[in-house]
Amino acid sequence: MKVRYSYLPQQFAEIDDLLERIKNFVATGDFTLGEPVAEFENRFARLIGAKHAIGVNSGTDAIKLSLKAAGVGHGDEVVTAANTFIATVGAIAELGAVPVFVDCDDTFCMNVNQVEAAITPRAKAILPVHFTGYMTDMRALLPIAERHGLSVIEDACQGILANIEGRNSGTWGMTGAFSLHPLKNLNVWGDAGVIVTDDDDVARRLRLLRNHGMRNRDEIELLGYNSRLDSLQAVVGNWLIGDAQKISDKRIENAEYYDEHLARIPQIRIPPRPPGMRLVYHLYIVFAEDRDGLLRYVQERGIEAKIHYPIPLYLQDALKHLGHDWGDFPVTDRHTREIITFPTDQHISREEQDYVIETVRSYYAGR
Amino acid sequence: MPDADRPIPYVNLQAQFEEEGDELLAVVTAALKRADFVGGAAVGELEKALADFHSVADAVALNSGTDALILAMRALGVGRGDEVITPANSFIASTAAIMHVGATPVLVDVQPDQNIDPDAVERAVTSRTKAIMPVHLTGRVADMGRIAALAERRGLLVIEDAAQAIGSGLDGRLAGAMGDFGCFSAHPLKNLNACGDAGFLITNRSDLAERIRRLRNHGMADRNTVAEFGLVSRMDTLQAAILAMRLKRLPGVIERRRRNAALYDSLLDRNLIFIPPDREGEFNTFHTYVIQVDRRDALQAHLAARGIGTAIHYPVPIHLQPAAASLGYRPGDFPVAEAQAGRILTLPINQFLTPDDIERVAGEVNAFLRNRDFP
Repeated sequence: MKVRYSYLPQQFAEIDDLLERIKNFVATGDFTLGEPVAEFENRFARLIGAKHAIGVNSGTDAIKLSLKAAGVGHGDEVVTAANTFIATVGAIAELGAVPVFVDCDDTFCMNVNQVEAAITPRAKAILPVHFTGYMTDMRALLPIAERHGLSVIEDACQGILANIEGRNSGTWGMTGAFSLHPLKNLNVWGDAGVIVTDDDDVARRLRLLRNHGMRNRDEIELLGYNSRLDSLQAVVGNWLIGDAQKISDKRIENAEYYDEHLARIPQIRIPPRPPGMRLVYHLYIVFAEDRDGLLRYVQERGIEAKIHYPIPLYLQDALKHLGHDWGDFPVTDRHTREIITFPTDQHISREEQDYVIETVRSYYAGR
Repeated sequence: MPDADRPIPYVNLQAQFEEEGDELLAVVTAALKRADFVGGAAVGELEKALADFHSVADAVALNSGTDALILAMRALGVGRGDEVITPANSFIASTAAIMHVGATPVLVDVQPDQNIDPDAVERAVTSRTKAIMPVHLTGRVADMGRIAALAERRGLLVIEDAAQAIGSGLDGRLAGAMGDFGCFSAHPLKNLNACGDAGFLITNRSDLAERIRRLRNHGMADRNTVAEFGLVSRMDTLQAAILAMRLKRLPGVIERRRRNAALYDSLLDRNLIFIPPDREGEFNTFHTYVIQVDRRDALQAHLAARGIGTAIHYPVPIHLQPAAASLGYRPGDFPVAEAQAGRILTLPINQFLTPDDIERVAGEVNAFLRNRDFP
C-alpha cells in the first residue's frame, strides 16, 4: 500500500463547482485586491475571531510585514524558536534584524521559561511559532513581552484554529501570521498568506505595506512591497473556508487514532497533549527509537514519512555567522534524532492509518 | 446606445476573456487537475519559453516584477552602502526595491521621452555606485547604447527594469536582454499578463539564475539545506500555465497596440500635443500611450465626461512622495520629470480598441485642445 504525504489530488477531486466559480471570476478581470479578497478577509477575520484580516502573498510575507509594522529593522533582535521552519528566520533576516533563538520543549514550541534569558536591550519583538499545530504557551509569554515592552508576532502558519482555552492562535499577539500554502490545513492553489490583528492602525499599515505603500493610486506613504493575496486564490479560499473547522476536526480525529494505537508500541513516545490546548496537527510527529531505521523501513514500504527537520536551523549555512553549534539547544538537537512525521490529514483513511501503525509495529517486532 | 457614446475603457480585461476564454479555461482546468500548485511543470515550461523568446540563457519565474528587481540585486551582491542610479519618474517599485536590499537609490532626471537621461546618469556616478537601473517606461527602451557603454567604462552593473517593455526592442535587441538582468512584471495590466501577480527575470548569467531559483524559495538548496536566506517569491503554477498560453499570443497583442499607436500618431494634433518621436531603431510596444499637453487635468475630466478612460503614469514623481522623504530630495531637483508630471496623460491603447474608438478619442482630444472656450 502507498500512503502518500500530499492529499491535494483528493482534496481537489470534485471541483466542478469551484471551476464554475473560477470561470465566473476570470471573466470579471478583477485580479488585483478585488472583491474576492475582501470577502475572504472578512470571513477569515470572523473565523479566527480577529477584527482585521489582511491577505498577503505568503505566510513568510505575513511574518515579514508584521515585523515591519512593529518597527523591526536593521540590527534589532527578534526572539524566536530554535526549531522552526526557515521562513520564520528568513523574514527576520530580510529586514536586517537578528534572530535570537530559544530552545523548544517536547511540544515543539519555544520553552517560554527560557525566553526572559534571551532578551537583551536590543530586543524589539518576540516571534513565537505555533509549530506543527501546537500552540506556544501564550498565557505565560504575554506577561513577559509586556514587562519588556516587546511586540508579539505569532507565527501561526501551521496553527490555524489551534487554541488555548478557546482563544485562537493569532489573536494573542499584535498580529498573527498565517500561511495558505497548498500543504496547509486551510489551503489555496498557490502561495498565499493572511495576517490578523485587532489594531486599526497596524491593519492600516499592513494594507499599505502589501501594496507598494500606496495610500491611493497616486500617493505613496511608505516604501512597501508587492505582496498581495491573488484574487484568484481568494476565490479558492472562499470555496474552502467554510470547511476549515471540519478539516481541523477531522485531522484531530485522525491524530487521536494514531495516538491511541502508536502509544501501545513501546519504542514510540507520543509528545505531551496539554489539557486546555486544541492542537490541529498540521504535522503528526512522534518520537521513535532507532528513528533512522524506522524511517527507512516505512519509506521502503510506501509510506511517505518525513523529518521536520533533520538539520536544525541554527546549523544551516545561512546562519553560520551566528556561531551556533550542536549543544546550544539540546532539546531541539535531541528532536532531530528522534522525530518522525507520518502522513495525516483530513483525507487519510483508517485503512491507510492501520497500515502505517502495523508497519511501525512490524519494524520493531522484527529487529 | 449610439456608437459615439459607447464608453472606451482604459482597461478591458473582460474583452480579453471574451477573446480567449475557452482556451484560458482549458489551461486553468488542466493545471488544477495536475495539482502541482507550487513549482509545478508549467513553471519550468514557461521559463524555457521566455528564455527562447528573448534568446537568452535563462529565465526565472517569480511572484512579481518588484521581486525580480529585488532578487536581481540580491544575486548581484548589491546591498548596504551601494548606490543604484535610477530615474525619478518610475513606478515606486524600482526605488523601493533598491531600498529593500539596503542600497541607496540615486535618482536622476529623464529625457523628453520620459526615459532616463544618460548624461544625468554619468553625472550621478560616484565611487559608491554599483549599478544602473534604467526603466523602459511606457514600453520604450531607454538609451541602452550609451548606458551600456557607460556601465562598461565605469565597471557598473546594469539591471533593466523592463516591467512595461516585454517584446520592446532597440537596434534589434530585446528589452531586458541587454543588461546583467532584465526584470519583468506579468501583472494583470501588463501586455503579457497573468490573472494575478507574477513576474520574472531573464539573464545570460546562468550561475546567477540558479542562485535566484534558490532565493525565490527560502534560500533552500534542497528540502533540508538552507544555503542562504531568501524570499518566498514563486510564480504560482497556475499563473505560469496562463502566461505560457498568452506568450504565444503576445506578438499579436503588440501588433494591435502598435497599430493603435500609429493611428493616434497620425490623428493627434502635433501643434498642441507633444508625442515623443520614435528614434531610429526603436521598436515600441506601447504598454502605455502617453501624450504631453497643457491643461492636462481639464482634458482628462473632459474625456472622462465622455466615457473615455485615461490614466496618469505617474502624477507625483518618486522624489516628491512622502515615502521618499528620507532621501532628502526637493522640488526642482528633477525639472524635466516634474514638468512632465503635470503634462502627461495616458490614452487608452489596449488591443481591444477599434480604429473607430481611437478616432473618437483623438477627435475629442484635438477638439478640446483646439477650443480655448473649454475650461
